[in-house]
Amino acid sequence: MSNLLKFGFTFLAVAEFSVAAFAATRVDFRKDVLPILSDKCFHCHGPDAHSRKAKLRLDQPDWTQESKLLIPGQPENSEFFRRITTLDPDDKMPPPENPKSLSPTEIRILDNWIQEGADWDEHWAFITPKTPTPPEVENVDQVRNPIDSFIVKKLEEQGLQPSPPADRYTLIRRLSYDLTGMPPALDEIDDYVNDTSPHAYETLVDRLLESPQFGERMALAWLDIARYGDSSVFHADGPRFMWPWRDWVIEAYNSNMPFDQFTKDQIAGDLIPDGTRSQKLATGFNRNHGTTDEGGAIDEEYRVEYVVDRVKTTASTWLGLTMECAQCHDHKYDPISQEEYYQFYAYFNRTKDRGMQTRNGNAEPVVYLYTEAQEATANHLRSQLKNLRQTRKSKKAPDEQVQKWIEILQEAGRQELPSLSTWQTLGPFQANDAAAAFKKDFGPEKAFPIDPSKALADKSWIPKEEYEDGKPHTLPIGDNSALYLHRTLKSTTTQIVSISLGSDDGIKLWHNGKQVLANDTARGVAADQEKVDLKLTEGQNEILLKINNRGGGAGFYFKLEGPSVPEDIQMLATKTDDQRSEEEFSKLVDYYTKNLWSRGLQLDEEIKSTDADLKSLMGSVTTSMIMEDQETPRKTYVLNRGHYASPIKDREIEPNTPSFLPSLSEAFPQNRLGLAEWLTHPNHPLTARVAVNRYWTMIFGNGIVSTISDFGVRSEPPSHPALLDWLATDFIENGWNIKRTMKQMVMSATYRQSSKTLKEHLEKDPINRYLARAPRLRLQGEFIRDTALYAANLLDLRIGGPSVKPYQPARIWNEVSLNGGLFYKPDSGRKLYRKSMYTYWKRSAPMPNMMAFDAPTREKCTIQRQRTNTPLQALVTMNDVQWVESARLFAKRILHSPAQTFKPRLDYAFQIATGRPVDESRISAMKALYQSEHQRFSDRPEDATRLLEYGEYPHDTTLDPIEHATWTLLASAILNLDETISKD
Amino acid sequence: MTDINRRHFLTTGARGFGALGAASLLDSSLFQGNAGGFLQQHHKAKAKRVIYLFFSGGPSHIDMYDYKPALRKIHGIELPDSIRNGQRLTGMTSGQKSFPCVAPMFEFKRYGQAGAWVNSDILPHIGSLVDEISLVKTVNTEAINHDPAITYINTGTQQLGRPSMGSWLDYGLGSSNQNLPGYVVIISKGKGQSQALYSRLWGSGFLPSKYQGVKFRSAGEPVLYLNDPPGVAPETRRSVLDTIASINRQKFSEQGDPETLARIAQYEMAFRMQTSVPELTDIRDEPKSVLDLYGPDASKPGTFAFNCILARRMAERGVRFVQLFHRGWDQHGNLPSLISGQCKDIDQPAAGLIRDLKSRGLLDDTLVICGGEFGRTIYSQGTLTKDNHGRDHHGRCFSVWMAGAGIRKGYVHGETDDFSYNIVRDPVHINDLNATILHQLGIDHEKFTFRYQGLDQRLTGVEGAKVVHDLIA
Repeated sequence: MSNLLKFGFTFLAVAEFSVAAFAATRVDFRKDVLPILSDKCFHCHGPDAHSRKAKLRLDQPDWTQESKLLIPGQPENSEFFRRITTLDPDDKMPPPENPKSLSPTEIRILDNWIQEGADWDEHWAFITPKTPTPPEVENVDQVRNPIDSFIVKKLEEQGLQPSPPADRYTLIRRLSYDLTGMPPALDEIDDYVNDTSPHAYETLVDRLLESPQFGERMALAWLDIARYGDSSVFHADGPRFMWPWRDWVIEAYNSNMPFDQFTKDQIAGDLIPDGTRSQKLATGFNRNHGTTDEGGAIDEEYRVEYVVDRVKTTASTWLGLTMECAQCHDHKYDPISQEEYYQFYAYFNRTKDRGMQTRNGNAEPVVYLYTEAQEATANHLRSQLKNLRQTRKSKKAPDEQVQKWIEILQEAGRQELPSLSTWQTLGPFQANDAAAAFKKDFGPEKAFPIDPSKALADKSWIPKEEYEDGKPHTLPIGDNSALYLHRTLKSTTTQIVSISLGSDDGIKLWHNGKQVLANDTARGVAADQEKVDLKLTEGQNEILLKINNRGGGAGFYFKLEGPSVPEDIQMLATKTDDQRSEEEFSKLVDYYTKNLWSRGLQLDEEIKSTDADLKSLMGSVTTSMIMEDQETPRKTYVLNRGHYASPIKDREIEPNTPSFLPSLSEAFPQNRLGLAEWLTHPNHPLTARVAVNRYWTMIFGNGIVSTISDFGVRSEPPSHPALLDWLATDFIENGWNIKRTMKQMVMSATYRQSSKTLKEHLEKDPINRYLARAPRLRLQGEFIRDTALYAANLLDLRIGGPSVKPYQPARIWNEVSLNGGLFYKPDSGRKLYRKSMYTYWKRSAPMPNMMAFDAPTREKCTIQRQRTNTPLQALVTMNDVQWVESARLFAKRILHSPAQTFKPRLDYAFQIATGRPVDESRISAMKALYQSEHQRFSDRPEDATRLLEYGEYPHDTTLDPIEHATWTLLASAILNLDETISKD
Repeated sequence: MTDINRRHFLTTGARGFGALGAASLLDSSLFQGNAGGFLQQHHKAKAKRVIYLFFSGGPSHIDMYDYKPALRKIHGIELPDSIRNGQRLTGMTSGQKSFPCVAPMFEFKRYGQAGAWVNSDILPHIGSLVDEISLVKTVNTEAINHDPAITYINTGTQQLGRPSMGSWLDYGLGSSNQNLPGYVVIISKGKGQSQALYSRLWGSGFLPSKYQGVKFRSAGEPVLYLNDPPGVAPETRRSVLDTIASINRQKFSEQGDPETLARIAQYEMAFRMQTSVPELTDIRDEPKSVLDLYGPDASKPGTFAFNCILARRMAERGVRFVQLFHRGWDQHGNLPSLISGQCKDIDQPAAGLIRDLKSRGLLDDTLVICGGEFGRTIYSQGTLTKDNHGRDHHGRCFSVWMAGAGIRKGYVHGETDDFSYNIVRDPVHINDLNATILHQLGIDHEKFTFRYQGLDQRLTGVEGAKVVHDLIA
């Protein structure tokens, strides 16, 4: 204390920390000192070698024990302390120009710390936890399981009392949402409330843990983490199909797959020896990131971006580390060097997927999820294909045919090129969008042979003398249109000629009615953008070219390059029989067999059509994107400043894990599987803590470590460190059993407390760190919508399958989509009422009613959602057709229930929506609303009808419309109550 | 109150904040008044609000603002290697064999006392305004494709997951209108090739989602879910709200959760929005003289001109940040005709907006910014003909102008080379531009941080952005 005065420092009385509290207890290095050092000092004196000033490192302990900088017990003689308290701007730390400065309280803490001997301790989260013994508490009645011992102990220290247990109505509703994301059904409430068995609560917990909705509820949180979506994010943000992966997650939770297996399958299921199809599917976790299809994108830039995303997501999810900070330089706070970052990166840098992916569907590698029939057909086609290919390979053209061909070649000396007619154009043809212009047959595509003297599709062919070969030509056609060009080629022999093409933008080519080229692209025209070999028949051949224009200018390029008989073949053919060796002759046979032999070409056709059948079958097989490593792994280097184009090639980086954590056993494979084994090794200090902390958050609203995605040096210290370690070690010792851990949490007395907030709570623990009361929280958006659908008896409980498109306001997609041609087409019928987790998630324009409730866009890994309270949420639940229609059907359900008078009806409604009977004050508020609105609808019955016809579900005309409309309003009010959208 | 806000409180000096229980009330509304902002401004603000006219797709700086007579001399010549200097090109033209330079196929004039060159064929109205604005010719970005570039300029990084500028400001400064959002986005579309937009461009990233931009819409409901359902009269809505409020108050008395009171306030706010938003978007009270300022499209909903009028009406009502996106500036081909159409959409409305704001005295504290995510190449994409050509994306330099709120008037900042390809003098990185915008709002961009995942995140990135003091009067 006196030191401050000695240094002439005026201590500003700030009401932050109680001085008395400080005098009484020793400074806790990890809790009090390390956060200050990391926040205020490490940026310039921390792990990052590049930004380190004066070669001084304060993130390692050596400076704290008898160094020039610090003498334990003597702040007044310590340079460190002088620097942080001096008034001399040249010496002051942090420097005055730095946006950071030390507060008087922080200086005081550092002062005390040095006085007390400047003990140093490693950051707690990087040390393997030991199983703590649950503490003795005075209030033993409050302890149902070990969790409570830790909680009650802390409450006693804080002078807080636990709350009494919540009533059964509250408990079953709380439990149902926490374990299944659903409200309890009426009979479930009845059963539980009237269950006199001493095990009633546990029975309920077990039933909910075994319900299939448990898996859905757990998966929903995992989908945010895994940045799961139904679209590809970048540029066009086109559709993809990852729902089989999503269904894998639901099933994994429902079957209570241990967390270590859950981890291994998702990180490295493709590398598990004799792994199953399902394990491959699981690796979709790291294919959920955004991918691009942007025409100008540079492949490597994006490929690197994907690897970076996987590192970030994997590290935040399993390690609770912000490893991404070390992509460009050493981590500023946590001991992760840039090199170590790239060691971790190397695990994910060997995958087969490319930077440039697709705007439509799944990009390779994928797993095929066949039905049995599909698999049988596919196998049949494959074996057929194999036979055909074998035949093709083993059979050769008869010598005499080859001989005849040689003679033709010899006679011609050089082959005669076909003669070309003038180009004839047809069009342009307009479409609504570029894709349609490319795809649609406007007439000539199946009209072979074409006679240009005859009109086609109500248009005439126009000869174009000016389209000289070998030059790019501009085509006078508008956006989203297509033009056809046609000409004939007369050939004196069967021969192969090669042509060169260019186009602005998309191009298709048909030869004698058969499509030989299609490229739906956007580009400016240039020579040699496409090369095609045409196998000309003797006599007249025709080609049809289609150019489509996405926007801006359009054009094409054509050049007949010449015969595609390679020079060496031509040379061999011109030799006389005597000059030509046997080997040379067989070369000619091979060439002829491959390119010109009719039987061979026929086989080619069969191969092609069988292959097409196989491809079309495969196209109908459900796929899901997966991880797969290259046969020869790509090399990894440190990327200078994290830039994809600046690898430092002096030294290759091998995959490895950060050195401050337990080292990777050499027994593990040096790939992602080894990484997964390392993550789930029982001595890993982070994985289990991070996981149980997340489960804790799902149950208690906040983490024991409140920064649930960051356990690094700058993380918020745990509120109950010993409890966290107890949960983590217990989790590992019991086989990473997720349901068991969840059960333990909800079985605690802590969980079962009332959530009533007392004045004392607001004064002593407003943010409820110590849990003297159960948390009372707004439900997440999906649960709120599902609750409305459930109340309306509309909720479709089928699990999994392709995502669905419920109601969405018009033009949400169209307003932002590439070229503006994309419209959201809502589904109809049951698909409007699926659980909200199955709503189609387009990540550039996600469902707005869920976005209003803090749903993340899922473009990036989100470990924890925000929980806000806004007027836009009120607008959604009052006015969105999904809720209004639900209110209408909820009203119908009420009116069709056995309850026949106002009070029982209202009671029924409240039990459904809020899980408890209604009381007098609510009845009188609702009665007043009923009366005023019943009158209003009676005066304006047309309003009642309009309200009752809102939404797709048919209006129940058996009900009195005035009564039904009035109850619809009441139902809507109930669905909007704080007690409906929150859990007590 | 969200965890992250609590956390922010905790890490920004409010550790142990005595009555934090009231936190949820302190921060209960989407549209809190000024006091609700989290930031104590660092210096006196010149700007109270921002109107950002954002042209998405990459408007050609060469054909709009960055003209120089020397361009005429290079028309048709091959882009010299010394100018391209090995810089990367997009995959759309990197395979091109020839890179013929193209001078603009338009007339330019020197305007105003500044003598700034502006395209007089298609931007005469903006041209006539140059004495009101600062024209920055040297804005630059590393990105060369739309998605990363538009994400970069709007959120300060090409990576996903960061808050947009508008949500930073909404978070930091709050809204000064209790009945309207602090951050509004409106989208219009030109005839040219429309690149995609993404909700992340006005998203709140790691900030609480209440700070995301609220999209106003040209047809149907001006704000999503604003209208009462069919058959529900305003009086009915009022009765329903009163019932909800009375039961919620009852709930509060039973449960004591301050969040319940906050919810009552939010429902009231929603009700007020149902009046304040239609009143805002109904422009029938605008006199003809005002509509004329914005040109012939002024009263057509959905046009850029209409949206400019809405922007002014929002500025009058204290909306902190209005961002108008106009789409269709991606002219890889047919540039001369397409850019003419796009400029026709925006020239008179943008100029009208400045004049209108000025005549009402609003320009003094309203910062107007006008630009896109990058510029376009001097060389032609595809074939160069007598009257037609295209241009690819170009991030090395492009033009943005700003006006109002203490921005220097009649000033041209920076210079590019004779090919409008590289910067010769005074580069302004997009993060410098953003730092300057924050500065005008009284914010030191280095101190305006939010702790997320252990890092003090900021809008302007870690590379050391600089405020461009030359732009400030």
